[in-house]
Order: sequence, then structure tokens, then C-alpha cells
Amino acid sequence: MIRELALVDVYFLLLALRWTIGLTLLALLGGGAVGLFVAAFGAARNPVLRGVAMVYVGTVQGIPLLGWLFIFYFGLSIIGYNLPPLVAATVGFSIYAGAFLGEIWRGALVAIPKTQWEAGLSIGLNYIEQLRHVIIPQAVRMAIAPTVGFVVQLIKNTSLAAVIGFVELTREGQLTTASTFQPFSVYLLVALMYFSLCYPLTQYSRVLERKRRVLH
Amino acid sequence: MSYRFQFRDVFAQKEAIADGVLVTLQLSAVTIGLGFLIGILVAVSLVYGERWLRSLARVYVEVIRNTPLIVQLFLIFFGLPGIGIRLDVMTASLLALTINLGAYTAEIVRAGIESVPKSQIEAGVSLGMTQPQIFRHVVLIPALKNVYPALSSQFVLLMLATSVVSQISAADLFHAGSIIQSRTFRDFEVYTVISVLYLCLTLLMRGGFGLLYHLVFRRK
Amino acid sequence: MSFIELKSVVKRYGSNTVLQDVDLNVEKGEIIAIIGRSGSGKSTLLRCINGLEPVQGGEVWVDGVAVHDPSANLRELRARVGIVFQSFNLFPHLTVQRNITLGPMIVKGLPAAEAATLALAALRKVGLEEKIGAYADELSGGQQQRVAIARSLAMSPSLMLFDEITSALDPELVGEVLLVLEEMAREGMTMLLVTHEMSFARRVAHRVVFMHQGKVWEQAPAKEFFAEPKTVELKSFLSSVIH
Repeated sequence: MIRELALVDVYFLLLALRWTIGLTLLALLGGGAVGLFVAAFGAARNPVLRGVAMVYVGTVQGIPLLGWLFIFYFGLSIIGYNLPPLVAATVGFSIYAGAFLGEIWRGALVAIPKTQWEAGLSIGLNYIEQLRHVIIPQAVRMAIAPTVGFVVQLIKNTSLAAVIGFVELTREGQLTTASTFQPFSVYLLVALMYFSLCYPLTQYSRVLERKRRVLH
Repeated sequence: MSYRFQFRDVFAQKEAIADGVLVTLQLSAVTIGLGFLIGILVAVSLVYGERWLRSLARVYVEVIRNTPLIVQLFLIFFGLPGIGIRLDVMTASLLALTINLGAYTAEIVRAGIESVPKSQIEAGVSLGMTQPQIFRHVVLIPALKNVYPALSSQFVLLMLATSVVSQISAADLFHAGSIIQSRTFRDFEVYTVISVLYLCLTLLMRGGFGLLYHLVFRRK
Repeated sequence: MSFIELKSVVKRYGSNTVLQDVDLNVEKGEIIAIIGRSGSGKSTLLRCINGLEPVQGGEVWVDGVAVHDPSANLRELRARVGIVFQSFNLFPHLTVQRNITLGPMIVKGLPAAEAATLALAALRKVGLEEKIGAYADELSGGQQQRVAIARSLAMSPSLMLFDEITSALDPELVGEVLLVLEEMAREGMTMLLVTHEMSFARRVAHRVVFMHQGKVWEQAPAKEFFAEPKTVELKSFLSSVIH
């Protein structure tokens, strides 16, 4: 049954946009948690910890995101869990985002001059306390611009969740195309919606980047 | 867990895998070659162009960089026929990937051009060189050298991103996965093997770019 | 008309007026040293002469060319006016030879063999023929500066501008550069030098110009300039730099 592209389709696309945003936020939470460990390990003095971080990042970044999504989608069902695509997507994105965020944050940590660490050490703080009170506040200011930049990447990447059946904006676009046979208009609309999410964030990260350069 | 991993079945599909690797490499190579050229052209437009050219280039870069690759691919492969342009799978894949890479490369090269110190340009101007001469002899090589790491990372990312063309049934490495999957029903093993192969390709590419740097930019 | 004529030149950066009503004449073969405090406008003055800086008012005439005219094509003039910068500005990705032959080959269209001969001759003048295949980062500051001079010389200029070319050098490397300059002076090159090297200025320059607050505050033949400063500002400047 072919029907005309109507306002109701736009409405459903907008609804699916919520899931795009939702998945992005989930990926940020999961990826953020993983990223903290990756960053902390990667900036540690212990070469074993650094090695673990390096192997993790290298492996995750050397495999396409589609690969990770499929591995978790099929892998999880093997372990006996027949969970909705949302879960496979969240796990896959968290692993993926964790590596990239970890690298960004490690870069920010490592950019803090050694003298700051020494200052913390000289007033008796241990490694965790140094991180918490001296280093991380400064690292956050350094990392915020590239992190916002990565959020844009994440929003675009959620489009791949469509491939494992998760109904976010791109999948909804495929479904709408199937029922209206207007792929050009539909995907143009979909692109427009992604653009309206991503472009403001891109501009914001540019503003942040300029501020960061002024500080350093 | 009562599941037994059966990787042997997957390894038996050597030919399908090899064909897939070949297509992925070819697609990546052609895209990188074309995308790199487009990127330089667009970067030059962004930095040196007249107002209208700069705006055009900026719109291109922003639209591509703020929309997902898969949507661009679908628009080209599924959408264009709606306005009379029908492309085959390979052409559509190449077109989408090249347009995509061109925009990302343009931003990187632009940053490279702007990283060349103004004093270098002044030296060229003071010798009486024209802008195009200054770009070719004073700016281009130092600019590319400065952004080489970012550029080569982007190219490796591109190779991984080619996996998306599997979604329009282009016969790349990732698509080989669905073929083998339908033959062996070993979903998990299939995609694990394919992912490891991508990892090998990544390592090879990174090594290749490292070698290239020494060949091109290191003094004899 | 003089070789270089500046008439009532005004130069502004935004709301900041760097050159106010500057008048200066330079004849062919003259060697002029320009001194003054930082911010007095002396570097800017030099950069206005080959058009690196546009002027907002007044006229700049170099060898009959109206440099102040925004529509003027200065390429041909620049091929005849050499400038050497404080930070050398050698092209890091090219060898010394390529640095020097680039101008003659690309701007003047000379064939490679002729350009190579010119390069060797220029390097010989500055005493660095053996470094012809080296890259900038393999050379000391003084050597880089001499290569920069050779690069300008290879264009057979009729005027050489020097913008504080020894200020970024370690003291022990300054002498070798000044020697090259003295040789050029002996050969009759028209030279304008913005410099802090007072003894060099007194010895080699024909005339010395003192810039202050964006104006030509005082100028005189070299010996007279240092021996009998007329204005209070010049006296105070000289006493602060000569000790």
C-alpha cells in the first residue's frame, strides 16, 4: 500500500528522533563510564595499566562500529539473552564511545603539566586525590571542546543502530520510505533532522575550542 | 552455556572472505585518492576563494560533516532514482564515500594551510611570488606535513567506514559476513572473524602510512 | 626624484596610529640605519616600503613605483627589493639551494642551471657554499640569517631592507652577519637597516634616522648623529642603549 508523504510521517520521524537522542545519551553514559577508566589507565604511571588502555583503544578503534554492533547483537543472543536491539546497541556504543572518549580525556590529562602533579604530591595527596582535586578540574576545561565534538560523531553514529533493527531516526526513515515510496524526500528530511541536531553542537564546540586556545 | 563456537565453518569460506577484502581495499584506495584531491581543492576554496566560492565550500563541508554517512548513502542510492538518476551499487558507494571523505579531508587540510606561519607567506610575497606560486612552493608541503597524523587517521577511519556499503548490498568485506552467515548460520563467529580482519587491515594501513611519512617527508 | 620617497605617510592598526606623517628620502647607494625604541614604528616603516603593510595616508615611492597605490602590482618591484627578516623565514622543507633558486626560477623564469649558478655565487658572498645541500634546521642562527641574505641577493636587488636581522641571534653569531653587510655596503648597495647595533650603524651607515612615537624625530649623518644628538628624546635614548 503506497500512500503519500504526509505531515504524519514527519511526526513519526520526529518521534524517532527522540530515540536517536536517547541512544546518544545512553552511549554517553556508558561510554563515559568506560572512558573514565580508559583515561585513568592510559595516563597512569604503571606501564601495565597504560598497556591495557592502549590495547583496548587500539582494538576498539580498529574495528568498524557495525562490527561491534553485530558482535554484541549476535553475541548476547548466544549467551541466552534475547534482548531488544536497544541493549545490544547500548553495549556496542558504550564500548565504542568509551575508547574514543577515553583517548580524548587521556589526552587532556596528559596535557596537564607535571608540575601540577608535583604540587598535589607535595601537600600529601595520593594518586586518586590528586586526580580528583587538582588534575581533573583542569582536564575537564581542556577536554570539553573535543568531547562536544565527539557527541556530534555519536549522534551520527546512532544511525547505524538501524542496521540491527533499533528504530531510531534512520530506521524510521527506511520504514517511511517503504510505505510512501518517496526515498528522496524522506532521506532529505532525515538528513535535515540530523543536521539540525548536529550543526548547533558543531558550532558550540568551535566556540569552546576558541576559548580553550585563549586559555592556553 | 551450551553453545559451542564453530569457527572452522567460517574459515572454510575463505574465498568469500578474500573477495570481500579485495573489494574493501579497492573501494578504500579509490575513495582515498579521489577524496584527498577533492579535499585539497575544497580547502583551497575555503582559504583563498572568493566570497561565493568560500560559502559554497563551507556549505558542502558543513552539510556532509553534520549528517550521517549511511543517510548520505541511502539518499544517493535510494533517493536519486526518484529524480531520475539511477546508479549501480558500486558507483553509488564510491560517490557517497568520496563526497563524505572530501568534506572531512577539506577541514583537515584547511587547518594545515592555516598552520603555516604568516612569516613564511611574507617571505614568499617579498620575493615577488604570486599567491598560487606561494601555495604550491611554500604552503602545500609544510601544511600536509603538519596534518599528516590527522589525515592518515581519517583515511583509516574511512576504510572502516566503507563497511556501511554492505547495507546497500555492495560486495565488501562486511557484506561477505551476511553471505557466510546465510551459509553457516554462525552469526557471532562470522562477525568476530570479519572484525578481526578489519583490525588487521587497520594495523596494515597505519604501518603503511608510517612508512609513507618516512619516504615522503624525511630527508634523504 | 629620490630612489625612495616617503611623503606624509600614515599607518594605523585599528585605532592605533603607528606612523604619523613620516617623511623620508633615500638616494641610490645610501646606507640608512633606523633606530628607536620598540613601538616607535621602525619595523613598520620598513615593511611599508616593499608593500608588506598597506598605508592609510601619504605616499610611498620606491624607484618610481607608487607602493601606496592599492591597485599597484608590486610583484615586479618586490623582485628588485630584497628584505631580510628578524626570524630568517627560510623555507624549512627546502634545501638551502632550493631556498635560493626558488625566486630566480619562479619569479624571474630563469632556467635551473642559471639559477644554480646564481645560488652558488650568492652563497659564496655570504661564505656558506659548503652548506648548499643542507636544510635550515641543520644550520646555526647566524648561518640561517646569512642564507636568508643570500636568498635575497640571488634576485639581484637594487635595494636591501634589513629588519633587525641580528636581534634574534646569539651574540657570538652576530659578527659573521655584520661582516656580510659591511661587504655589501662596500659594493655600493642601497641599504635600509632597522637595527640595535649602534657601533655598526656609526661605522657603516651614511645617515641614521631616529624614530620616536611614529615620526622621524631626528636624522643626521652617522658621526654627527651619535656625537651631537640634538633632541632630548634622542639623547635619552642613546644614553640608555650605549653604556
